[in-house]
Amino acid sequence: MSVPSQTERVRPEAIKAVPVRRPGRWLAIAVIAILVAMFLHLIFTNDQFRWSFIFSSYEPGKRGVMFTEPVLEGLRGTLLLTVTSMVIGVVLGVLIAIMRLSDNWILRTVAFGYTWFFRAVPRLVLCVLFGNLNILWTRIGFGLPFDQQIGKLFGINDLNAQFYSIKATDLLAGFVAGMLALGLSEAAYMAEIVRAGIQSIDPGQAEAATALGLSRGQVLRRVVLPQAMRVIVPPTGNEVIAMVKDTSLVAFVPVTYELFFQLNAIKARTFVVLPVLIAAVIWYLLICTVLMVAQYFVERHFGRGYGTAGRARQRLRAIQAEQGSSAVEGGAT
Amino acid sequence: MTEEMVRADNVHKSFGSLEVLKGIDLVVRSGEVCCVLGPSGSGKSTFLRCVNHLEKINAGKIFVDGDLIGYHERGGKLHEMKDSDVAKQRRAIGMVFQRFNLFPHMTTLQNVMEAPCRVKRENKSEVRDRAAALLERVGLGSKIDAYPGMLSGGEQQRVAIARALAMRPKLMLFDEPTSALDPELVGEVLDVMKDLARDGMTMLVVTHEIGFAREVGDNVVFMDGGVVVEQGAPAEIIGNPKHERTKAFLSKVL
Repeated sequence: MSVPSQTERVRPEAIKAVPVRRPGRWLAIAVIAILVAMFLHLIFTNDQFRWSFIFSSYEPGKRGVMFTEPVLEGLRGTLLLTVTSMVIGVVLGVLIAIMRLSDNWILRTVAFGYTWFFRAVPRLVLCVLFGNLNILWTRIGFGLPFDQQIGKLFGINDLNAQFYSIKATDLLAGFVAGMLALGLSEAAYMAEIVRAGIQSIDPGQAEAATALGLSRGQVLRRVVLPQAMRVIVPPTGNEVIAMVKDTSLVAFVPVTYELFFQLNAIKARTFVVLPVLIAAVIWYLLICTVLMVAQYFVERHFGRGYGTAGRARQRLRAIQAEQGSSAVEGGAT
Repeated sequence: MTEEMVRADNVHKSFGSLEVLKGIDLVVRSGEVCCVLGPSGSGKSTFLRCVNHLEKINAGKIFVDGDLIGYHERGGKLHEMKDSDVAKQRRAIGMVFQRFNLFPHMTTLQNVMEAPCRVKRENKSEVRDRAAALLERVGLGSKIDAYPGMLSGGEQQRVAIARALAMRPKLMLFDEPTSALDPELVGEVLDVMKDLARDGMTMLVVTHEIGFAREVGDNVVFMDGGVVVEQGAPAEIIGNPKHERTKAFLSKVL
């Protein structure tokens, strides 16, 4: 029996088979198409939506409810509150995560206690609580701790060793109270996310960096955290988006400088319910869309050195370089 | 001229109740290549990690170039060193790991430049030139912009060697540098190490490559069960072992 050699064999025709019929799929697509059509029909024909109320003018001489001044003010408040409370959450969260991974059991226990408390208490309760926390003090300030008690020890009544203080009701109310309630609560969740990220990194990485003579801080900043970011960023994106929505809870502090509160106020004043709620939905959708795009770019940044896309690009460049150099050589000879 | 680069005096190390090192005495002279052989679990890797204080020893003393590792001795009493002082000692000791441990988020060039730039705060463009030259030396001049994930195991290990050399160490520690490699890639890493040895680098190598130990080693140490069973010239230890334990081990690996 002789086997024909490679060159003799003719490549057979490409397979042209009848694809398997999938009626279930077609049925599903038909059902979805009908539902989408019904939804579009609802949006465009039902005048209860009152799109002009939302977009163009909700009262004579005023802009649509989405773009009216108090609502835009509220939107600024919501964004500012999201950013500030997330900054508090991330910075404090990283700190607590590092404490949680410390060799020292006191630091570990404190970090554990913090996450235990702030994960257990609902954000709504925290917001109300922080709004009323100024009952505890008359003034809040920086200075010698226990100055009154120390003063009494030395026979001085009413020793005041505060460098700077402010009336508690001025400091711990409204925006600041809401920011602290959300930020401190967020720190507990961020601490767990950061801890998971740090623990996902091979200990050999820290060891290699240590062996090179990097300090503990450098090992963390230069080697461990940048790699942990790959694990930390996606759940943090979740947290930011959740925070945008949770800012509506500060209405209970109370803070009025907030998107949903402002829209609600218009609802209460005009007795127009649904269009106002739709306006809120559209704003939250817009904010979260922007955040998701931002997350995509952040993830891409921290994905350096991983994944197939970067690898393929690198290989392509290598091939181009090789061909380029050989072309130059070919030209020279 | 043969001053001592590494001196271990009766080194003991325990993990919990498990004693891994039971009194190691060892001397590596300047410019010498010392190969440590032994079965897994004999404590050879642990000993290597003690030399740059990645592991704290429980008893005994380790000196590198005359300096006591990890402690200050004042008035007959040992004081634990601050982290920054330990880091200073480690700068002079390069280490190469079994699993390479390159930083995957940095290019090979950045991997090599990291320590000189961050630890010694040297001039960046100067370090870049030196790092590129080092990568050239280990045969990776064309891969300076590649990320470790794009390199083969052998290439990664050669980058790891270049990374350690960038700190201009006076001693290099190798922890089974070829054990995680495909057989066909072992040679390229051993060639780089031989090249280093020829240049007079002091090297302490934990390895299973008996051929390398015989060819390049000035001194071979056979460890088992946390003690040094025998040590001496490679021809003697590998060619004509005295102890039963050494004979049994060598008959399995040769």
